[in-house]
Amino acid sequence: MMRKVSGSKRGASRQNSLAVVRRRLTRRSFLKLGGAGLAGAALLGVPGCSGGGGGNGNGEFTFAMGQDTTGALPGLVERFNQQYEGQYVCNYREMPTDTGQYFDQLRTEFQAGGGDIDVIGGDVIWPAQFAAFGFLVDLSDRFPESERGSFLPGPVDSNIYEGAIYGLPWYTDAGLLYYRQDLLEQSGFSEPPQTWEELKEQAQKVVQDSGTENGFVFQGADYEGGVVNALEYVYSHGGRVLDENDPNTVVVDSPEAAAGLQTERSMIEDGVSPQSVATYTETECEPIFLRGESVFLRAWPQTYSIAGNPQDSVIEQAQVGVAPLPAGPGGQSVSGLGGWNLFINAASDPEAQEAGYEFIRFLTSSEQQRAYAQEGSRLPTLQELYEEQEVLDAVPVIELAGEQTLQNAEPRPVSPFYSDMSLRMGEQFNASLNGELSPEEALQTLQEELEQIIEQGQNTVA
Amino acid sequence: MTTTPVKQKKRGGLREEFRNPERRTAYYMILPALFIILVVAFYPIAYSLYLSFHQANINVVGNFVGFQNYVLMFQNTEFLEGLRNTLIFTVVSVFFEFVIGLAIALAINQAFRGRGLVRAAILVPWAFPTVISAVMWRLMFQDQVGIIQYAASTLGIISDPILSSQTLLLIGAILVDTWKTTPFMALLILAGLQTIPGEVYEAARVDGASVWQRFFRITLPLLKPAILVAVLFRTLDAYRIYDLFWAMSNRELESLSTFVYKGVRISQLNFAVGNAASVFIFITAFLIAIFFIKGLGMQTSTEE
Repeated sequence: MMRKVSGSKRGASRQNSLAVVRRRLTRRSFLKLGGAGLAGAALLGVPGCSGGGGGNGNGEFTFAMGQDTTGALPGLVERFNQQYEGQYVCNYREMPTDTGQYFDQLRTEFQAGGGDIDVIGGDVIWPAQFAAFGFLVDLSDRFPESERGSFLPGPVDSNIYEGAIYGLPWYTDAGLLYYRQDLLEQSGFSEPPQTWEELKEQAQKVVQDSGTENGFVFQGADYEGGVVNALEYVYSHGGRVLDENDPNTVVVDSPEAAAGLQTERSMIEDGVSPQSVATYTETECEPIFLRGESVFLRAWPQTYSIAGNPQDSVIEQAQVGVAPLPAGPGGQSVSGLGGWNLFINAASDPEAQEAGYEFIRFLTSSEQQRAYAQEGSRLPTLQELYEEQEVLDAVPVIELAGEQTLQNAEPRPVSPFYSDMSLRMGEQFNASLNGELSPEEALQTLQEELEQIIEQGQNTVA
Repeated sequence: MTTTPVKQKKRGGLREEFRNPERRTAYYMILPALFIILVVAFYPIAYSLYLSFHQANINVVGNFVGFQNYVLMFQNTEFLEGLRNTLIFTVVSVFFEFVIGLAIALAINQAFRGRGLVRAAILVPWAFPTVISAVMWRLMFQDQVGIIQYAASTLGIISDPILSSQTLLLIGAILVDTWKTTPFMALLILAGLQTIPGEVYEAARVDGASVWQRFFRITLPLLKPAILVAVLFRTLDAYRIYDLFWAMSNRELESLSTFVYKGVRISQLNFAVGNAASVFIFITAFLIAIFFIKGLGMQTSTEE
């Protein structure tokens, strides 16, 4: 299929070059060339142009997904088209790589009533945001509870909004603790820290022994990543943002959540993290750790493959250890959940929806998830795959951290107004980390702000 | 568009204008352009004005709510913060750009060897895309690799991370903007300087005018049109600042435009208020322009 899409581009560029050529050629040779060019454009371009209409009777549908930087996705689509030749045709439409821009574009298309896209590859925080407005097909009948058990629980939960399920988990991501194995050993620690307190002790000791600049770096800036990081502290101390049974009740202003933010803040207060960690995103943290200037790093699984790459990294992969994030005093370790799900556009016609669902089953099948892990290092959402050595070899970081990390991953608050909540959370969590507000003050403000969003949101949806 | 009717009145009304066949053709010829302006410029403005009086979200336009969106807007602390930052930023940065730009223009207006090269060289910061210079400066302000943070903490001027302080970020933004757009100001003023004939200075010198007298009595008055154009351009640009704030502070520093962006592009609830803020920016920017044209006597055309 990809051949067809690029074919239409070739046709278009041929027409452009014709316009340039026209001025220089005689009329006769122009006609000859033009005829050939038009015929070529017709041959190559027409099949490509028919994409995007949704099902037009021949099982054709459009799949939207941000550009895959690993380059493995077009191959998956191609395989689907070969396997279902004569039955279904999937047109892959590349969307912006930036998640925010992609979300924005989808939202605009949905609002325009767009049936152009049939299957959507989307971030784990999107289901509620789209489902609340009726943009997604309810998949509860097609994907019953009996089938959900084979997937990791966190990614499945991220698709549930008000009791119905709107998507299937495709691949996942979870926050991990990276540490300098060599330095820890030198200071006499044989195990990575189990709790945040231990992390601080180890970091202080190692920094003292080895003279490393920083103990621990993580993403503390006022942005989505900062929200995920702060939520890991809140969750691991037993705090919640919204009531689990009633997503319209805000419970973030609790002693547990405050203890979590206090622990995050104490990383700076106790000198384990630099004050400027409150301005760090992945872009700042990763190089610090890879330059060997920090003992610990909180990051996503992809970082592991960069460690040891001599272009980006001073330290060797053998010096890096990976562990689940430390636990709070209650004894639980919680990773922020990332990853992508697959949804169906409610506005596309039934035939395309049917074909699209086949495609979703195809992508989430163990065979294709295994292939995506091997070709694109994506973490599968099917639990059984983590028992296979060849999958673990493809994503060694999970073998190191243990599959338990993925089991312990928790989604961010599920709300149709997550975008608004995220802005508020980002701001208050950052103010607390920065020391502008005490954790209690920040949470009190956040509680009021989130309540206001829910109240405002209920008026909007209703 | 706004100046045409005024001229028509002066010359005796629409009817008379249309009686002249040459003029009539001229009007017919600009009609399509006028129509396009109406569609692409006037309609969106009118529509956002209409939206700002309704309870609207991005999907649906709801009931008429009068000025409620504007009331909510003025109660919004982020909006007030953005307004405050934008005003400080605009006044201070345009002031420094003007003073430094004028000095540079006067300097490079003198004949000296390599003048052409200097004139081209000072434009370099201005030629950078703002987003790129914003990211570049962010790196310099950053604590791990940033030269400015390093120098400031070594000299003991600033001990906190620059990027996590609102005040320091605002000062930084003003500095970066001054660095970036002073050349533009200098170039516009330089163009004005070159229109002042040398004889005027000669005559003044013969009359025994001092350097300062020549500057304040001749240069400044004759430069006024050029200065007003340059300052108006910069004021409106600074007033709508978005890219520098957003990219350099990583969404920490609020301006009027970042408030609008958050409202209409990120938030799902603040669409109406964000839209009202965009109308607010449009109207206030318009008032600023009118103040320059009417209040300070800026010339808008070369006629008369």
